[in-house]
Order: sequence, then C-alpha cells, then structure tokens
Amino acid sequence: MRLLKTMAVLVAALAVVGTIGLAQTKIRAAFIYVGPIGDYGWSHAHNEGRLIAEKTLGIETTYVEFVPEGEVETYIDRLVAQGYNVIFTTSFGFMDGTLAAAKRYPNVIFAHCSGFRRAPNMMTYMADFYQVYYLNGLMAGALTKTGKIGYVGAFPIPEVKRHISAFAIGVREVNPKAEVHVRWIYEWYNPAAAKEATEALIKDGCDVFAFTEDSPTVVQVAAERKLPSFGHYSPMQAFAPDHCVSGQLVHWDKIYVDFLSKIQKGIYTSKNLAHVDYWWLLPQEAVELGGEPGIPVNPKFVPALKARIVDSKVFGKISVYDLVFARLQQMGDPGVSFDPFEGPLYDRKGVLRVPAGAWMSYDHLITMEWAAAGVVGPWPGEP
Amino acid sequence: MTRLGPLVVERRLAPSRAAVIGVSVLAVVLALLVAALIFWGYGVNPWQAYATIARGTLGSRHGLMEILRRAIPLLLCGVGLALAFRARFWNIGAEGQLLAGAVAASGVALFSRLPAPWLLPAMFGAGFLAGALWGIIPALLQARFAVNEVISTLMMNYIMIYIVEWLIHGPWKGGTMRGFAYTDFFPSAAQLPLLPGTRVHWPTLVLGLALAGVVALVLTRTRLGYEVRVVGESTGAARYAGINSLQVMVWVMLVSGGLAALAGVGEMAGIHYRLRSPTHISMGYGYTAIIVAWLARGNPLAVILTSFLFGLIFAAGDTVRVVLRMPFQFVSVLNGLILFFLIGSEMLMQWRVRIATKEERWTGKAGSSAS
Amino acid sequence: MDWQSWVIGIVGRALAFGTPLLWATLGEVSAERSGVVNLGVEGMMILGAFSAFAVAQTTGHPGVGVLVGAAVGGAAAFLHAFMSVTLRANQYVSGLALTIFGLGLAGLLGRGWEGAPLRQALPAVTVPGLSQIPVLGPMLFQGHTVLTYVGLFLAVVLWILLWKTRWGVVVRSVGESPATADAMGISVFRVRYFTVTFGGVLAGIAGAYLSVAYRPAWTEGMTAGMGWIVIALTIFSGWDPLRAVGGALLFGALYHLSFRLQGLVPPELLKLMPYASAILVLALVGLRGTWRRGAPAALGQPYARGER
Repeated sequence: MRLLKTMAVLVAALAVVGTIGLAQTKIRAAFIYVGPIGDYGWSHAHNEGRLIAEKTLGIETTYVEFVPEGEVETYIDRLVAQGYNVIFTTSFGFMDGTLAAAKRYPNVIFAHCSGFRRAPNMMTYMADFYQVYYLNGLMAGALTKTGKIGYVGAFPIPEVKRHISAFAIGVREVNPKAEVHVRWIYEWYNPAAAKEATEALIKDGCDVFAFTEDSPTVVQVAAERKLPSFGHYSPMQAFAPDHCVSGQLVHWDKIYVDFLSKIQKGIYTSKNLAHVDYWWLLPQEAVELGGEPGIPVNPKFVPALKARIVDSKVFGKISVYDLVFARLQQMGDPGVSFDPFEGPLYDRKGVLRVPAGAWMSYDHLITMEWAAAGVVGPWPGEP
Repeated sequence: MTRLGPLVVERRLAPSRAAVIGVSVLAVVLALLVAALIFWGYGVNPWQAYATIARGTLGSRHGLMEILRRAIPLLLCGVGLALAFRARFWNIGAEGQLLAGAVAASGVALFSRLPAPWLLPAMFGAGFLAGALWGIIPALLQARFAVNEVISTLMMNYIMIYIVEWLIHGPWKGGTMRGFAYTDFFPSAAQLPLLPGTRVHWPTLVLGLALAGVVALVLTRTRLGYEVRVVGESTGAARYAGINSLQVMVWVMLVSGGLAALAGVGEMAGIHYRLRSPTHISMGYGYTAIIVAWLARGNPLAVILTSFLFGLIFAAGDTVRVVLRMPFQFVSVLNGLILFFLIGSEMLMQWRVRIATKEERWTGKAGSSAS
Repeated sequence: MDWQSWVIGIVGRALAFGTPLLWATLGEVSAERSGVVNLGVEGMMILGAFSAFAVAQTTGHPGVGVLVGAAVGGAAAFLHAFMSVTLRANQYVSGLALTIFGLGLAGLLGRGWEGAPLRQALPAVTVPGLSQIPVLGPMLFQGHTVLTYVGLFLAVVLWILLWKTRWGVVVRSVGESPATADAMGISVFRVRYFTVTFGGVLAGIAGAYLSVAYRPAWTEGMTAGMGWIVIALTIFSGWDPLRAVGGALLFGALYHLSFRLQGLVPPELLKLMPYASAILVLALVGLRGTWRRGAPAALGQPYARGER
C-alpha cells in the first residue's frame, strides 16, 4: 500500500511539473452523507472534518445529508451542475454510483470512503480503528470482573468484524480467559436496538462494553448500571463522565485537509488518482485513542489500570496503563513496530490465520470474515 | 343551503372536474405559501426559492429527466392503487408489493440462468406474479375473515421489509460484496437500457404508460370494470347485481399488487442492479403512490398526471437540498403541508358558491335545490 | 444461567421497552374506539420526544418535559382531529401526512440539540417494600420510572372507563354507529375530538419517555418505527386497554429476545412477529365473529350528519 502511495505521489509530482503554468481552479468541495449529520456518529464525524477543512484551507464546501445509496448519482449530477469540482461520498453503498459519475465527469475529482474501486479521477480513503480497538481491548480486559465483555455490533461486515477481533486480541493479551460477547443490531443507527442489545448483554453477565453504533446509547446504558464502557466515533465521555473509560475518535479532517491541500498544490489532479488510497491509522493521526479529544484514558480509571500488572512477552512485568501507552507508541510512530494482527494468530475455531512473525496484508484486513479467539456469539458469514 | 348576501353556498352531489382541479391547485398554492414562511425564517427569499426550484426541475434537462425517473414507480404503483380504490379496497401495501417485485426480479436475475434475451421478460413476469400473490393475501383475508385491508396491507409492508433484510444478510448475500449486505450485481442482460445521459429506464416508463391505458380501458369498457365500479359503489348493490365481490377483489388486488411489483422490477433492473437494504430501494414510492392515486380520484389516466406531479415534488426536494441548502427535513415538512392542504380542501369541493336567484332573494332563504 | 434470572431479565426488559408501546397504544385505542384511525403515531411520538427533551434540557426538570411532550402530542393529534372530524378528510392519508410532517418538523427543530446528554433524566424508582420480594421485586419494582407504573394504572382506568361507565358507552357507540349515537343526542364531533386529542397526549408521553427516561438524549429519527408497532399492537390487543398491556409486554419481550436469542433464531423473524401477529389476530377475530372484541364498526369512516 505504502509503496503504491509513494508511486502515486511520484507520478503526481511529475504531473505537476507538466502542468506548471496552468491556472489553478478554485476548489469547491461537496460532501455526500448517507445519514443525517445529527446522528452523532459516522455522518456527524465526516461533517466535523469538513468544517475543519473548510476553515483550515479557506475553501468553499457544502454537504448533502441523508442521501439514499441509489440516489447518489442524482445528487452528484446536481452538485456538479452547481460547480462543485471535488466530491466526497462517504458510504460503501455509494461506490458504484460514484464510479459511474466519475466516468461521466472526468474533470471532477471524486473521493469515496470505505470502498475499493478507483479511477483516474476517483480515490478511496478510510480512517480505520482496529489499532485503537486493540488498545481499548487491553483496558477492557483489565477492567472486567466477570470475565465477560459485551460488544454491540452494527452489521456483521468485515470492518466491524476486524474491529471486534482486534478488540478481543487486546482483551486476551491481558486477560487470557476473558470473553467478548457479541450482539448484532443490523443497523448503523438505532438507539432503541442498541439499548436492548446492551441490556441483553448485561443480563448475560457482561460488565464492560464496547460497540459500533452511531449513538452514545451503549455508553449511557452501561453508566446507568455504573459499568465501564468505551465510546465510539464521536466524543462520548460527556455522556458518562465517570464510566466512559476511553474509546475511538476519528479525525476525518486529517485526510480531508491533506487531500484537498494536495489538490490545491496540484499534486493530485483528475488524472492521477487511480492508485491513491488513504488508509490512515494512528501514525497519520486520523484516529485517536480516547473518549474525549486529548484524553486517551479517563483519569478516573488510571489508578485501576496502573494497579493491574500483567506479564508481557515484550515488556516484562508492566501495568496495563503503561502497556497501553507502550503499544500506542509502537503503533503511532511513523515506523510502526507493532500490529495487533501479528502472527501466529488463530481464529476461534483454531485455524491458523496469520503465520508466526507475519502481519496481515491490507487485502486480508479489509476482507477478513473470521473471528479471533475469545469472541463469543453469532458470527454470520464465518468461514 | 346557506345564503350570504347575494351568494348561495350549496352542496353538490359530485364535485365537478373543474372544482377538483381548481381546489387542488389552490391547496398546493396555500401549502407553498405556508412553506414560504419557513424559507423566510431560514433567511431564504421565498420568491427566489421557488424560482430556483422551478429552474432545477422544469427548467433544465436534468431536472425534467429526474421528474420522469421518479414518476416511473409512482405511475405503476399509482395505477394499481387507483384500481383498488375504485373497488373501495384501501391498499396501503404498494410499498411491500413493490419490494416483492424487487425480490422476485433479483431471484430471477441472479439464479435462474435463463438465456440473456429471456432474462428481463422473466424478471418482469416473476415480479408481477410475486406482487400479485402479495396483493391477493389481504384480499382473501378481507373476504374470508373480515380483516381490515388497511391494516393487513400496512403490516405486510413491514413483513416484506424484514424478508428482504433477511435475504441480503442471509441466503442471498453476495460473495463479491466484501461482506456487505447486498446481493451480487445482476448480469448485464438483466439491466434495462437507459435514455442516454440520464438514469431514466425508459422501458419501464413505456410499460407504465401502456398499462395505465389498459387499466383505464378495462375499467370503462369491460364487464370486470363494470363489476369493479359496482363493488366500489356499494357491496349491497353488487350483491343485487349478482356480482361475486370476492372474485372481483381478487382480480383487483392481483392487478394492483402486480403493477406495484413491476415498479419494483423497474427500480431493480433500471437503477440498483442488485437487492439492497429496503430503505434504499424505494424512496417511499409505495406510500407516495397512495396520494398519487387518491388525487387522481381513481382514474388511471389521471394518475399519469398526478405521478408526474409527485415526480416533480421529489425532484424539487433534491433542488431544495442541493441548491438552496435547506435541511433535508424541510422536504418532509413541505410534503406534509401539501398533503394536509390537499385533504383538508376535500370538503371544499363538495360545495359551490353561486349567485342567489331572484326567488331566493325574495324569500330571503336558500332554495332546497340540493340536500 | 438459572431460570429465575432469565424471567427477571425478560419481564424487566419487556416492561421497560413495553412502556412507550403501552402509552401510545392506549392512546390509539382511545381514538380508534371512537372510530378514528390515527396513523400519525410515529409523528406524534417524535414531536413529543423532541419537545420533552428540549424543555427538560432547558429547565432541568424532566417532569416538565414530559408534560410539554404530552401537550405537543395532543396538539398534533388535534390537527388530525380537525382534518378527519371537521373537514372529514381521509383518515389514513391525514395520519400518514401527520407522520411525515411530524418526523420532518421534529428533525428540523431538533438540529443542534444532538450530541449532549440530558442534564437530568427522569429517575428510576425503587418501590419501597415491594422491591424486596424475591423474583417479583427486582422484576417489577426496580429500575423503572414512574411512567411505567402510571401507564399500567392508566390501562386499568381506561378499561373501566370504556367498559363500565356511561362515558365508555358513549365513546364506543360513536365508534360503532355514529349516526345512531347522533340520534341519541351524543355529539359525535365532541367525542371524537376528545378521544383523538387524548390519544395524542398519550403518544406524546410515549415519545417523551424515550427521550427523557428510556435513553435520555435527542437524536434525529429516534422513534425508529415504533409508531408502526403501536398500530399493529392496537389491533393485536383487540382495541382493549388491558389486552394492550399484555400485547405491549409481549412485543417488548420479543424485542428483547431478538437480541437474547441471537444465533438461535434469525433476528428478522422475531422483528416481523408484531406485524404478522397483528394480521393473525385480526383473522382469528374475524373467524370467530366476535364483534364486541373486534374492530369498531365505523372505524375509519368520517361522519357527517344527514349522510348515510
């Protein structure tokens, strides 16, 4: 991946040399969201990123929210007619519509989030959480008393499965007997379903919670029982100041600012995006550990995490708190020296998935269907 | 019945066509006036807003084509519903029937292995049958068990939604979709041709227009049409006329459900090319079509007009969101307002105002010409 | 896991999730008993949810929020009454319009209110004494808000009113045969206005429960189709307030079980149960021909004096 990206940059650099002297067209960027920005989850986060990009670069942007997947082309048509020349589409289901539009408007730049199809004028991007989920898993494993951790999942798709498995790997690293119990709600956004799924997990004896859903429901429900939880996507510590341990935060603005500024500089054009894929993780600061920006671990939980000492193969005797930050540093530095999916790695059925010493490839990561050891519960599509 | 100075307000037996059209237009205008207040509240000049909407819909090729595209499913569902309403069968289930067609079309497209030229006709055929079946169930339930059809058709929409959800998450989940809940793409032989440069799947449009004509002919020129009308007037009259109303209802719902399902086939083969989450397949076309058919007073040819009107409203919603940058919820509010004014004005059509006759002025009372 | 904790878990969740279903269903029963179908439940609920949240957040008093939610739900229903009773518009279309309008308006007004938890949620109560009873205590008398108990009480009151009082005879006769009721000197107009508006008040409280008690926050579209389950539940309960309690608990339990039994039963199957069972119940009622428990005969029909 990285190699491809470097090549893309080189190609782009050449292209710039070739087009020097051409008048720079002003960027007018449009964002198409699948949900309402009031969901406080996925679309909300993209919109926050848009606002920061608008401010940082001083460009004009607009957005359309709550767009049905099959309608994305219609909205692209209208936006192009309005003169927007960079269009971001932020849902997997927009992929084919975006590709069709990219062919129709070769001079407009498209960027599609979470997909895998590209064109000379269409790049793909994703800020992924699996490293952060692993870190949350370390903390969850240390905090559980019943040995059962609850996970409310949106859809059983590779992205969510990857996150749950990374989380479970973290849990097992500090607590080899703990289990991650999973319930699916089959919706990205449904507070009532998230609440009842959490209640079901509580009834099954879970006492720490993580989730993939677009509202802070799980955090709120857990807090009602005074149980710890991990926020997802947006800052959720405010919803449970005493019970939200940490979580994942996204910074789409890092990708948006980088990509748009490279268009401004002429590095990226509508001719050279066929191999551009932003797969941004901790090193690029597209994702952050914490339930609130700048607070990786809620201070209320620091003593408990410092008190829990584990025996690490790499670090020897170490507190979970220090382990979290040691791993965070390993994964956050530009020369990443650790990955949660490090072999030897067996799935929960005992099949070897990653050989000893190897890391998972990008393609394996984005298509993974198997469940890591420690995951308990239904797993549709399990190989 | 009531005299106001030189004027008499009186009831009429049946609203005239002019009254229906006149009052409906007035209702829409009033709704737009109320909506103008909201535009104004958002700091958008209402006049400019409506001018922008007009340019974005009727005033551009893209806009016109979008009206056409949105009108296709509304037309097919609307014609079917118009027929049902003529028989006084309140079919609220076009949404579910549309999805039934989408499911059947997907099944044929993905699994039938039919030779290419047969694929699309088979999809439409299977879709029609699936919708007909889904439509007949509430007709039978009503006839045999006196189950209120509004409720049964409404509930069956939800049942079909969960069937689709189950299919895309379970047995039909596509291997090429990277674990996401879609079926695989249809082969190209299962995809309808589009008008160049647009997303208008014209064969479905032609089919819809033709079927509107056919249903209109059946209603006015055939024995079945006569029976439908009699049953619609009153079941008692139907019994006197020796009409088997169960049989008529089954025919009506067979066609009504089947037509809505054809809309679903069209959306599948013309827009989506795969089965996906139900909320992304239909933009509530089945529900909007209720209004379309109801505004057309059950006249299939009038449905052509009203479906284009609502196609226009859909396209206007896009413009409102993209060009005027109004929140998407505003479109719902606007639709709600238009509906309220349309149904609220219903009673107005029952009345007419005329100048009092000399006799009435003399006696000071309104005559009893209508009651 | 022993059976006791299973039962406690299921009944407890059935009560919590069943509470908004029960409130709104009682409201719909009230309206439909007088012959007016209101398909606007979803719209009334979401308006109630938003207004209750906004007021509770501003004043810091969740109770005030609930009251305002009730009033707003009532106002929305009043609009439906005006449409369907005074203007004699088609009730189904008017209800659909109310749902579309309500969802849009609540979303429009609610922009900017997301992302903050409610300052003070409606507290859960522990009933002194009763909560100590084994099994029943933790199941019924812990962790629920006062709205759950008031809802159950209201169901009993409404049942007595409908079946044991003159008021009930009046409402039901309007729903069975408005012309006869009119001839008896009952104001069909007034009765329907009252029952529909009252129904909206209850739907508004159901929505308020969602945003100030069940999950104290506001998010766009947070009723997520619950209003349609209510329509199904109204039929399922045979327009009877006491059966509505059973129905709300059953649907609540089913919803809970769709998460509890994952892996054993496809969740879609459990989710479509409310809708399928509504049809089934109607069919059974029709088969037995028991009209007292069946639909009000004039359901969905506008009434105009001198018109048959």
